[in-house]
Amino acid sequence: MRRSWFYYATIAASVILTVFLVLVLSLIVLRPSADALLASLASSEMQFAVGLSLATASVSTLLCMLIGIPAAYALARYSFPGNRIINAGLDLPLALPPLVAGLGLLLLFGTTSLGNWLADVGLVFVFTPLGIIVAQFFVNFPCMIRIMRSTFSMINPRYEYVAKSLGCSDAGAVWRVTLPMSRTGILSASTITWAKGIGEFGAVLLLAGAIKWKTETLPIALFLNMSTGRLDMAISAALLLILISVCALYIFERYGGSARF
Amino acid sequence: MLHIDNISIDLGEFRLDEASLDVAPGEYLVILGPTGAGKTILLETIGGLYTPRSGSISINGRQITNRPPKERNICMVYQDFMLFPHLTVEENIVFGLRSRKTDEEDAKKKGREMARLLAIDHLLHRYPDTLSGGEQQRTAIARALVMEPNLLLLDEPLSALDAQTRESLVKELKRIQKITKVTVLHVTHNFEEVFALADRVAVMNRGRIVQVGPPDEVFRKPNSEFIAHFTGTRNIFRGVCSMDSGASTIRVGTISIASRTCREEGEVYATIRPEDILVSRTPITSSARNSLFGTITGIANNGMFVKLTVDAGVPIVSVLTRQGFEEMDLDIGDEVYLTFKAAAVHVF
Repeated sequence: MRRSWFYYATIAASVILTVFLVLVLSLIVLRPSADALLASLASSEMQFAVGLSLATASVSTLLCMLIGIPAAYALARYSFPGNRIINAGLDLPLALPPLVAGLGLLLLFGTTSLGNWLADVGLVFVFTPLGIIVAQFFVNFPCMIRIMRSTFSMINPRYEYVAKSLGCSDAGAVWRVTLPMSRTGILSASTITWAKGIGEFGAVLLLAGAIKWKTETLPIALFLNMSTGRLDMAISAALLLILISVCALYIFERYGGSARF
Repeated sequence: MLHIDNISIDLGEFRLDEASLDVAPGEYLVILGPTGAGKTILLETIGGLYTPRSGSISINGRQITNRPPKERNICMVYQDFMLFPHLTVEENIVFGLRSRKTDEEDAKKKGREMARLLAIDHLLHRYPDTLSGGEQQRTAIARALVMEPNLLLLDEPLSALDAQTRESLVKELKRIQKITKVTVLHVTHNFEEVFALADRVAVMNRGRIVQVGPPDEVFRKPNSEFIAHFTGTRNIFRGVCSMDSGASTIRVGTISIASRTCREEGEVYATIRPEDILVSRTPITSSARNSLFGTITGIANNGMFVKLTVDAGVPIVSVLTRQGFEEMDLDIGDEVYLTFKAAAVHVF
């Protein structure tokens, strides 16, 4: 059968995109000399950035799980007044530029009495690693909620009812049945949230600043070293970010099961 | 034991409308009704999934209308099993005992006993998705029964199974209820389950319970047009079966019906589909072993088909095509022969 021009055009589009992607990424990988790259990777600045990124992303992911999973459960299971507004509202940060989110957070913690009070009791978010965690949390919790909401709504509520008729409380039924049944969803939601947290730049830049040896996560390290012309350092930060993305994508595709974003 | 007094509930698509029902201890009550009659919602309301808008439910004299499910000790078995997929058969069975904080050894012992009763004790370490439908349903029943529930609710428990498995599970349910003496509410739209299992049958329609009684009575003396229509589409007989050199005969009132098999000698139910019965004015010689003679007592014309009721000692319903009916020129009071094969007689 003779194929139409449409057939070839759409395939060409996908090929062009792939070539573009491979070209960009391979430049990052192939550009620096191996020696310079190894030296940068071994530098204590880069190790600090890796450590800070891993720690902040892990803590913010944990927070997303602690608050996002119960919220997603409520949105999937209960019909309550305001359900639809809350559902739509919690998706909003997905479309919001992180810079804008960061600005809002800076105003909240830097200029309001709530921010001042938190600072007084020792919780300083402006230009601190604590700020990194909050910025990542704010930008990424919708991701957690979306995946978990769809995971929960795919589980027949009758499983919980059976558990309750077998002596479980509401919370007990969720703990013993729904959560174990959602484990692939939880795994993929936290993997994606974590990977996005590692890569978060805009919101972190505004709230936590770009302070060398203090709030220098991997993306901030890339930015700082780029601005000071230390290309090898910038590229090694970029390489590490690519590595983390690839690992996260692998885990999501391999173990994510039917979880959908 | 279970006393349901005028409960109403409205879930949009499904509803209950002042449903009342009394169930005696140890009774096996089958709830029959068409799709959408409110059968499942009745069970789920008894189980505590929904709170009725009005009316009350009590069990052993204790009000449970507003109690949460875990305080009722009423267990539910669904058509699609609802086994917890992340737990093994054994963990599924002892799930409820663990919520009760039963001693672990004790729970396992009880679980194994229940598994043995349901003949699934060789499957304890398997996961539900590796089991056949029948095995899954046995596991679900074991998981419920091990709780020694006040009431066992079965929501079309056999509908998802093939005919052979269904038949063996019917026997199993009967045997197990005899042993455990558990009170059962069993929802179905399958007539055979009614006759095989029910002490009494409750017929539901549009959220209401329209008639309750022994199966015999409900089918013989339907108290409404709906039940007559719902149950009257086939011939159901109760009789005594006897087997003689391979052939079996069912004695129903004054007539005898030959059937291919009787499951056992003694009391049985038999059905004959109206369309399997041939109507003629003169006797027909054929291989069919049943030929009855009777008088037409009713003719119901519903367009394509004509339904004849013939008194042949017992009332028997037959169906003719419109064309066949007109060619034979039949009328009430006419005498006809009814011919059907032994294989058309279904015994259960």
